[in-house]
Amino acid sequence: MTATATRAIPTDATECARLLAEATADHRTVRIRGSATKSYIGDLGATDVELGTERLAGVVDHVPADLTVTVGAGTRLADLTAALARAGQFLPLDPPHADEATVGGIIAANSNGFWRARYGGVRDLLIGTRTALADGTVARAGGRVVKNVAGYDLDKLLVGSFGTLGVIAEATLKVLPLPETSDGLVAGFGRSTEAFAVANTVVRAASRVEACVVERSEDGPWTLAVQARGSDPTVKRALRDARREVTAGHGEAAELADALVRMRDLPARATDGALVRVSLPLAASAAFAESAVRLESFAALIVDAASGIVRVHLVNDDDAVIRDAEALLLAARMVGGAGRIERRAEQLRSRLLTWPNRPNGDFLMRRIKEAFDPAGILEPGRSAFA
Amino acid sequence: MHDDLLLYEYDGAVDTATPDAVVLPESTADVAALARFCHEHAVPIVPRGAGTGLSGGAIPVEGGVVVSFARMARILEIDVPNLRAVVQPGLINLHLSTAVAPHGLYFVPDPSSQKACTLGGNVAENSGGPHTLAYGVTTNHVTGVEIVLSDGTVMRLGGKAVEDEGYDLVGSFVGSEGTLGLVTEITVKLTPLPEDKRTLMAAFPTMDEASETVSAIIGAGIVPSAIEMMDQLATQAVEASVHAGYPLDAGGILLVEVDGARDGLDDTRARIEEICRDHAASEVRVAASALERERLWAGRKGAFAAMGRLSPDYYVQDGVIPRTRLPDILRLVKNAGARHGLQVANVFHAGDGNLHPLILFDSRRGPDELERAKAAGLEILTACVEAGGSITGEHGVGMEKNCFMPLQFRPSDLAAMHRLKEAFDPPGLMNPGKVFPTPSRCREFAFASTAR
Repeated sequence: MTATATRAIPTDATECARLLAEATADHRTVRIRGSATKSYIGDLGATDVELGTERLAGVVDHVPADLTVTVGAGTRLADLTAALARAGQFLPLDPPHADEATVGGIIAANSNGFWRARYGGVRDLLIGTRTALADGTVARAGGRVVKNVAGYDLDKLLVGSFGTLGVIAEATLKVLPLPETSDGLVAGFGRSTEAFAVANTVVRAASRVEACVVERSEDGPWTLAVQARGSDPTVKRALRDARREVTAGHGEAAELADALVRMRDLPARATDGALVRVSLPLAASAAFAESAVRLESFAALIVDAASGIVRVHLVNDDDAVIRDAEALLLAARMVGGAGRIERRAEQLRSRLLTWPNRPNGDFLMRRIKEAFDPAGILEPGRSAFA
Repeated sequence: MHDDLLLYEYDGAVDTATPDAVVLPESTADVAALARFCHEHAVPIVPRGAGTGLSGGAIPVEGGVVVSFARMARILEIDVPNLRAVVQPGLINLHLSTAVAPHGLYFVPDPSSQKACTLGGNVAENSGGPHTLAYGVTTNHVTGVEIVLSDGTVMRLGGKAVEDEGYDLVGSFVGSEGTLGLVTEITVKLTPLPEDKRTLMAAFPTMDEASETVSAIIGAGIVPSAIEMMDQLATQAVEASVHAGYPLDAGGILLVEVDGARDGLDDTRARIEEICRDHAASEVRVAASALERERLWAGRKGAFAAMGRLSPDYYVQDGVIPRTRLPDILRLVKNAGARHGLQVANVFHAGDGNLHPLILFDSRRGPDELERAKAAGLEILTACVEAGGSITGEHGVGMEKNCFMPLQFRPSDLAAMHRLKEAFDPPGLMNPGKVFPTPSRCREFAFASTAR
């Protein structure tokens, strides 16, 4: 993004598509901006146009008994949450930057939080989209019903596409009734093995918890945070089970307070060094975390023990950060995972790319990109396969 | 020899076509070699699992080679610590859940045909089943696939982790009905078995009351693992064949199941019972044992097969509507049948709004019968789309509804989908004549999209 980019703020999908057709014709590159909370992801240079989604905002349709909501992509999650709460419902997504992030940005960046294993991630909750394409057309995929296999699932293709295939203008998502009650705990452990053994049992327990996260900062203990929401008996049961496991694992349980909020927002705080984010087979995360804390640049790590998403914050001199970040990505690949440099300090941008490794199927991804955006105007620098 | 081919000319739907050849590969390398051969000679490839599909997905409508995965049916790995299994595409759905049950795990999607249908077919069709209301359909339970493209390229997409970098090619592939490539290996999520379940059968005077009960249960903040509905005609057929114990005088029956931690399950069950009684339920029966639960479910799972008691043939539709529209659409379904002189039985996933009207006909009375059944089906699908729904919830588009795609999607929507097709299968050899309208077979269907 540069100060010289032209700013365009379309009011609907059709206008959005027309803007993209013009940009395609003139070979002007386009950056899509919701609340710009995740602008640190990608290897972006300057673009000619900045397309803001703030006027593609608001709840289009919400039928509480259908458990679905259709919203403009520029709607902030916080505003949607407030609107749904008035009907006793919620969108079961808890991504980082939840106060500012827009629904469109959350979909485009596949931005999930700790609730993913309990309720599904963005890909599981998204059931319909209306997207402006680079050729000036508007394509709808999915619909407004919770079950639908008509045609290809282009919704899935858009999740995590970072705007490289089109501008999501409208989305329909599954929502749920707000849980009756909530409770949680944090527990400190001297050793990682104890923390992960407890986490492992908790995520498989009959009373399905909402979040189960392991945190470690430079000098602190291994901290486990567990939250359960639901009906009173199920929440009581979940906490009873979790406390028993914590005691058996020699941990010290305490009040949850705002621990999960802090853990969730690590990407927002990690402005220095580098933040490595990997997705691992569940059982690989304990050993991965153990080796991460031994790195010279290790500053903090957060493990979503229920889904295998691990974030490691590295802080040190540049060379050490780069070396350790690359080591972590390699380690993830060795165990069948994948990852990226989610965030890095400004001076590291040219030396540490977001996606240093090509993903499997990269040639198919390139073909798909070319089919949707032949002129390559959309979000240059935000493709994992480039 | 030709007689052998006849076994492969039909599936669970109503259309047929004879393949030019049938191949039964035993490995990914076999599949790749076959694809290379077909690519070189521009021969269509049609993958086939158990042939239980209900949209003609496995029918070689444009000729070519049918690839049966009957000899690639092994479980390659049960990975308990990672909650994953790696399987071959010919594996029967139920065999997977049976194999992992000793570990306290199961594979969630449970199509009615789960004793016969294959995982490869489930991936192709993005199959559902009664228990997908709370836990999702096939696509929500697949994290990796190995596929063979139409030019013979073998690719591994995703794996055991919940996501990969780049586009979600696994999510794009699942549900593509064999039109993007052949799946040769599947990595699926395994889910811990619920600690306990409660299963209720509730009988209502009319389908309206049963429908309103569905919305009331959801509205009360309860998300059961399944809510199935059956009308009187279906109930009578089921009782004649399965003896599930459904009351024959009820206008509509609901089968509701909740599962999870034992704590609180009885509270939830009691609340559901109360909601049913508030909506004029004449009877609410709670399964008191695993045996009783199985019996209640046996009626539901055997419902399609039981239709033979009512009629020699049936044509099943698979439209989806927002569940709040159930009462008026169900009336419309009945009227659509009546207009064409045909009876319609309803057995469906009410919690998802996924209808399964079974349009009963008798092909012995002449070819006109099937045509009338199809005409009634089209009226029902049109109504589903007008209500904001879909022409298919879990059976797929196949060759049965590809001409109806313009009901739900505009040309620009279909063009966007076709870009994906061109990226995966540039020569168009994978399962041609499916999903997208074809000029040759869809000439008579020219309707503007009625979708919102």
